[in-house]
Amino acid sequence: MWKAVRTLTSRATTSQPRLRDVVIIGGGPAGLSLLAALKSSRVTRDLQCTLVEGGSLASVQNFASNPPEEYTNRVVSLTPKTIEFMQEKIGNWAYINEERVKVYDSIVAYDSQDSDSRISFDASAIGTGTLAAMCENINIQASLWERIQELNMTSDVPAEIMDNVKVEKIQSPVEFSASEALDELPDLLEVDPTDGMSELDWPIIHLSNGESLQARLLVGADGYNSPARKFAGIQSRGWMYDRFGVVATIKLCYEDYRSIGWQRFLTTGPLAILPLRDDNATIVWSSTPELSQLLLKVDPEIFPHLVNAAMTLEEVDLNYIYKLLEVDPSDKSVLGEIEWRLSKIKLLELDSKYPLPVRELVEGSRARFPLKMSHADTYVAPRVALIGDAAHTIHPLAGQGLNMGQTDVAHLMAALEKGAKRGMDVGSTLVLEEYYANAWPGNHVLLGVCDKLHKIFSTDFTPLVYLRGFGMKTLNSLGVVKDLMIKLVSGN
Amino acid sequence: MRPVTATAAFSRLARQVQGRRWASKLTTASEDELKHFNALASTWWDVNGPQRILHKMNLLRMDFIVDTIRTNLQLNSKDTPEEESIYIPPYNLDLLPRPIRLRIVDEQELKRDELLDESKLQVLDVGCGGGILAESMARLKYVDHVKGIDLSPDVIEAAKLHMKKDPILRDQGKISYELQAIEDVKDTEKYDVITMFEMLEHVKYPAQVLSAAMDHLEVGGWLFLSTINRDPISWFTTIFMGEHILRIVPVGTHNVEKYINEYEISDWVKTNRPDFVVTDSKGCIYLPAYGWKFTETALVGNYFMAIRRVK
Repeated sequence: MWKAVRTLTSRATTSQPRLRDVVIIGGGPAGLSLLAALKSSRVTRDLQCTLVEGGSLASVQNFASNPPEEYTNRVVSLTPKTIEFMQEKIGNWAYINEERVKVYDSIVAYDSQDSDSRISFDASAIGTGTLAAMCENINIQASLWERIQELNMTSDVPAEIMDNVKVEKIQSPVEFSASEALDELPDLLEVDPTDGMSELDWPIIHLSNGESLQARLLVGADGYNSPARKFAGIQSRGWMYDRFGVVATIKLCYEDYRSIGWQRFLTTGPLAILPLRDDNATIVWSSTPELSQLLLKVDPEIFPHLVNAAMTLEEVDLNYIYKLLEVDPSDKSVLGEIEWRLSKIKLLELDSKYPLPVRELVEGSRARFPLKMSHADTYVAPRVALIGDAAHTIHPLAGQGLNMGQTDVAHLMAALEKGAKRGMDVGSTLVLEEYYANAWPGNHVLLGVCDKLHKIFSTDFTPLVYLRGFGMKTLNSLGVVKDLMIKLVSGN
Repeated sequence: MRPVTATAAFSRLARQVQGRRWASKLTTASEDELKHFNALASTWWDVNGPQRILHKMNLLRMDFIVDTIRTNLQLNSKDTPEEESIYIPPYNLDLLPRPIRLRIVDEQELKRDELLDESKLQVLDVGCGGGILAESMARLKYVDHVKGIDLSPDVIEAAKLHMKKDPILRDQGKISYELQAIEDVKDTEKYDVITMFEMLEHVKYPAQVLSAAMDHLEVGGWLFLSTINRDPISWFTTIFMGEHILRIVPVGTHNVEKYINEYEISDWVKTNRPDFVVTDSKGCIYLPAYGWKFTETALVGNYFMAIRRVK
C-alpha cells in the first residue's frame, strides 16, 4: 500500500506544476506594468514572476527598433499622475518613444443641442501645464517590455514572459489532487487531500503549451471576460450601454498649435478629436450600434467630412446625412450637402469654436468596440487579485480607462511591498485587502461620474437640454468646481 | 525576592511540559490526532476566523520589529572612508526640496538593505503559538533561522503543519519549532532577535522569564515584547469589550492582575540589567473594521517594546 502511494507521488512529480510567486495573466499595459513594477522594487524584485499572454507580443518587441509609420488606432490619454508613476516607480517612461506622445493642455467640451453650452478645462488653472498626454497603447507596452529586459539583465530572478500561450484552465489545488488520483489510481481517493503537493492552497494554471504553473498569487489582468475573476468567483456588475465606440487615426488640415482635445456631446454619444504629433489626430466616436456600423462602411474619402460635420452641424442635418449614407455609403453627393451647410457658419466662429477640419482618414485604422460599464464587487480573493479591465470597464468619454489600471497597479504594488516588508505571504488576503480598500472607492466614484455624464448627454429631451446647458455654463464660470474637475481628470 | 518560589514554579511547569510531551509523542502517529491537528491548524490560520485579531496584530508587530531594526542600523562605521560614507544630514530632511530629499533617503535605504542582507539574523520566538510571527520573520531575506518555542504541544503541531504550506518555509529549513520553556533553552544558544509577543501577561513570574530570555541575546541584539498596561482602559478594551461584549477572544484569556505597566518594565531593566537599554515603546489599539494602530502613548492599553543589549 505505502509503496503504491510512493509510486503515485513519484509519478505525480513529473507532471507537477512549476511553483511561481506571482503569475500575471494578460500582457496588456496593466499586466506588463505590474510585472515591471514588481521587478523594479527592491522589496519585491526577488519574487519569481511569470506573465502569460494569449496573443503575440512580437509587434510590441519590434516597436522600439521599427515603429510603424502611421499611428496605430489604440491611443490612450495618460494623466500626469500616470506619467509620474511610470517615471518614478516603474521606470519605463525612459523607454517611451516620446516623438509619438502628444501633450495637450486643454479640453473643450460642448453640447450638440446648443453650441454655446460649453465648458473648457485648462491645465494652467491647476498649475501643472499638462492636462494629459496622448500615447499609443503599443508605445506603452513596448516601453514596459524594454524596461523588463533591462531589469532582467541584472536580476538574479529574471521575469518570465510567455506569449502565444493561452490559459486553458485555472484550478484549485484540492480539485487537482482529486482528479489526479482519479486518473491514476481510483482506490487511493482516501489519501488525505492535504498530503503531498496539495498541501499548497495555491491555484494551478494549466497552459496551452502543456505546462502548468502553481501561483502564490494569481493576478488577473485578463480583461473584461477575466478567467481569473471567474475562478475566484467574484461577481462583476454593470451594464452594456447599447453603444459602440469607433476609433480611427486621422490627419488634420495642418498641425494644431493649440494642443486642444475636443469633445462634442451628440445624443448618439460623444465624439472626441484628440491631438497627436504634427497633423495627426485620433478620434473616438461613441454611437448607436447602427450608426457605428455605418461609420465603418462609409467611403474613406467621405469619412473626414463626416467627422467635420458631426463636430459642427446641428443634429437634424446630421440625421439627414446619415440617412443618405445608409442608402449608399459611397454617395459623393453627401460632400456637397456637408460643404453647403458648413458654409453657412461664419469663418471666425468656425476658427475659434470648433476643431480644425479633418483632411484624411488613415487607411485601415477604423475599428469598433462595444461600450460597457462594469465593476467587480471586490478585487481580491485568497491568492487572487484583479487589475485593469478585469476589475472595471468604463465609458471612454473621460479617457480614464488606462489610468484607472495604473492606479490599480500603484495600489497593488504598495500593498505587496508592505506585505513583503512585513514577511507576509503576498498571496494572503491580509496583504491583498489593503489593495482593495485603497483602489475600489476611487474607481467607484469615477465609474459613477462617467456613467452619469453619458446618461445626461445622451438625451435630447428639451428641459434636460436646457438644464444641462445651464449646468455647463454655470460650471464653466465656477472656477473652484472646475478646478476640482480638472484635478479629477488629470488624476491629481 | 522570590527565587525559591520561581524555581518551584518553573519546575512545576517543566514537569507539566514533560508529561504533555510524553503524551503527544504517543499519539503523533494516530490518524485521529493528525486530523485534530489539521483542524486546529486550519482555525489558527484562518485569517477570517477566531484568530483574525492576532493576524491583524502581527502586521503591526512586524512593522515595529522591521522599522526598529532598520532605523537603528549603523550606516557609517568609524573606519568607513569618507567618500563611501552615507550622508546623514544634521537637520530635518523635510527642509530640502523633494528630489534631493528622495535621493538622500534612497541612498540611506539602499545602505540599510545592504547591511541587512549581510546580517543573517538568528531569531528566537518565545510563545510562538501557531507560528504566525515566526513564519513572517522566516520569510525575511535577512533572517537566517527562526526557532519557535511554546508550551502547548497542540499549537506546536499546528505550527509545524502550517509551515509546510509555503515552499519557502518548507524547503529552506528556516524554521524549527520545539516544545520548550525559555529557561530550558541551552545556555550556548545565542540570538540576534528574541520576540515575546502577548506572552508576559500570561506567566506567573514575568521578571524571571524576561531575564532568562535576555541571557540568550547577542550584544547588539534585540528583545521585542508586547503586553498590556494594568489600567482601567486595558480592562475595558481587552476584557470587557474583547471577551464579554464583542467576544473577539475567548472569555478567560486575560487576567488584569497579571498585566504589566510599561514603566515597570523600563524601571526593571534600568535597575537590574544595566547591559540593556529600552530603545522604544509604542502603544497600540485595535479598531474594529480597521485593525491595529499605533497610539500616542505607551502608558495606556496594549504596547510594544524594543530592548537592546548594548554590552
